[in-house]
Amino acid sequence: MEALVLNDVRKSYGNREAVHGISLTVHEGEIFGLIGHNGAGKTTTLRMISTLLRITSGSISVYGHDVATEPDEVRKIISYLPEDAGAYKDLTGRAYLEFMASFFASGAEKEAMVQKGIELADLGDRIDSKVDTYSKGMMRRLLIARAIMPSPRLAILDEVTSGLDVINSYEIREIIRNIASTGVTVVMSSHNMFEVDMLCDRVGMIDQGNLILLGTPAELKAEYGVDTLEEVFVKAVRG
Amino acid sequence: MSHMTSIIRKEVRELLTPGSVISVLVMVVLFAGLGGLIGGEVDSAAELPQFGLIVEEGEYTDGWDPAQILYDAYGEENASKIVIMDSTCGSSDSEIISEMQEKGLVSAIALPDKESFSESMASQTQISVKQYYLYQPTGLFGSVGSTIMSSVVSILSSSLSQLLVAGESGDVNYQFIMNPVGTAGDDINTIVDGAMHSGITPYDISNEVTSQTLMIPIVIMIIIMMVGSIVISSMGSEKENKTLETLLTMPIKRTSIVSGKIVAAAIVGLVYGLAYMLGMSIYMGAMTGTISGSTSVSLEDLGMALDAADWALVMVSMFLSIVCALGICMILGAFAKNYKSAQTMTMPLSILAMIPMFIVMFTGWYGAGGAIQAITFAIPFSHPMMAMPALMYGDVTLVLGGIAYMAVFALVSILITVRLYNSDILITGIGQNKYVQKLTGRK
Repeated sequence: MEALVLNDVRKSYGNREAVHGISLTVHEGEIFGLIGHNGAGKTTTLRMISTLLRITSGSISVYGHDVATEPDEVRKIISYLPEDAGAYKDLTGRAYLEFMASFFASGAEKEAMVQKGIELADLGDRIDSKVDTYSKGMMRRLLIARAIMPSPRLAILDEVTSGLDVINSYEIREIIRNIASTGVTVVMSSHNMFEVDMLCDRVGMIDQGNLILLGTPAELKAEYGVDTLEEVFVKAVRG
Repeated sequence: MSHMTSIIRKEVRELLTPGSVISVLVMVVLFAGLGGLIGGEVDSAAELPQFGLIVEEGEYTDGWDPAQILYDAYGEENASKIVIMDSTCGSSDSEIISEMQEKGLVSAIALPDKESFSESMASQTQISVKQYYLYQPTGLFGSVGSTIMSSVVSILSSSLSQLLVAGESGDVNYQFIMNPVGTAGDDINTIVDGAMHSGITPYDISNEVTSQTLMIPIVIMIIIMMVGSIVISSMGSEKENKTLETLLTMPIKRTSIVSGKIVAAAIVGLVYGLAYMLGMSIYMGAMTGTISGSTSVSLEDLGMALDAADWALVMVSMFLSIVCALGICMILGAFAKNYKSAQTMTMPLSILAMIPMFIVMFTGWYGAGGAIQAITFAIPFSHPMMAMPALMYGDVTLVLGGIAYMAVFALVSILITVRLYNSDILITGIGQNKYVQKLTGRK
């Protein structure tokens, strides 16, 4: 079964169409990168997959569940991490993970889930500090841990390393690699072409709401006769 | 342009948003309207009320005709305010009250018959005029009419006093001459809910009711504004931090998210409310105890004291009004882009809380006209403000009706909120809505 299937997906805001009929498939266990410049339609697409925005036309299915007609089933198997997301500032990191885990499990199962989250966040003693005392990197690690701890089948990560320093970015990429190795499918967006090149099995490029490129990083680089994904991006956008 | 001028211009532009200007204009209109309302209420309270007069025809003593004296005192334009009743000086209290009810009179005075008058004059004892009132619950100024009745007695007294002073010689009882007509405490009869109570006027009752209920509208308004601000700000903050986006992708029903937020805030609001009421009742108790020494009216004796069931209704009414406020806040908060924009969203709620507070405090539900009653009833926050006085007057129907209305209002607002939570507006804001785009011409 395919992890994610988008079939001629369109999204309109009033009279403006932001996504123009995107079709793509993401295989189970794959890390799929969605790239494109600001306002291209990446976040809108990720939000439609995450059940946050309604699809104007077309369809999206996650592990066979239709996003429009079975949103509750989809929400049970996905985990979405928005760009620049925060957490409840009055809670400690541990309390935040406990709060989020309570939506997926109870009792011993919940305890195990929280423990997994604490290990993934790797914040040491600071897991018991209030969230509003965390640095951006610590916050992102906590949120990644929150997204991964319920063992979703599909993790949707929007600009997950945006604004982070080298070490934090590296550590988060390691976490993504590790979760993908356990069979979790990852769909992520990023402006960091180096990161996408290193992490993603396949890449889709969106420009003005259209999917203009789809393939492995190696295939795309070969197609454009360049050495980096960044050059592919520039050539594709500039025509 | 200096640096400071640039900063001032930028700050003014940021602070004077269309939303804030509209809010100020609405407040001006609101206060102007309330000024008119209060002015009208004061005017109508100051106006001589129509009252019944029970008196024997003609002069009681040489040159002293009570009916004529009152006609002369109030002038031709107010002659219709004095209604000569069919009851006679010998009629029983119940006969007089029946006639008052029949003729729609809320107050009446009864002079003694000529024989009793002569006896009092001969013995130089004060001539007692009886006062009758049908108690009607009104606003802050509505019971002023009962003090005007006392002035009617004073007019009769001073006119007779002048007559006596002019013709008096020899041994004089100055106390009698200075105040020949009056009303003994027991001759003041006020009918409350069909039962007659002596020695108290509607003014006394109104004072006691007001002293016990005046703080309620203020407390309710403070709670509504405070809880509303907390919830709208929390919504703005959740949007800004994108914690709401995260929550909405969790396997939780939208109704659970909305109801959970509303119930939690309502419980907090109720706790705040009880704390405020306790604090204010201690404050008011200290004020009335120190300044006026509390009135002699016992609401318990009048059958107007609240029992446990009444208090339970007041609490239910207060809780539901908070839920309604939160429902409105959740709807308004759905349109907030961030924490800052959420702050301006509280203005409509504040206005909605202030309107019933002023109406209930100044005219009261029972003293308001039909249109104002309709507006007051439609605003859910009015109901806990009106609940205590309504229950004191035994008007359980109004309170239960209010509770039923608020329950429906709360349910509808929760359903609208759930619908908004299922729509794109929560994520994209109102600007991306096609109807708003049509309206503003934006894309």
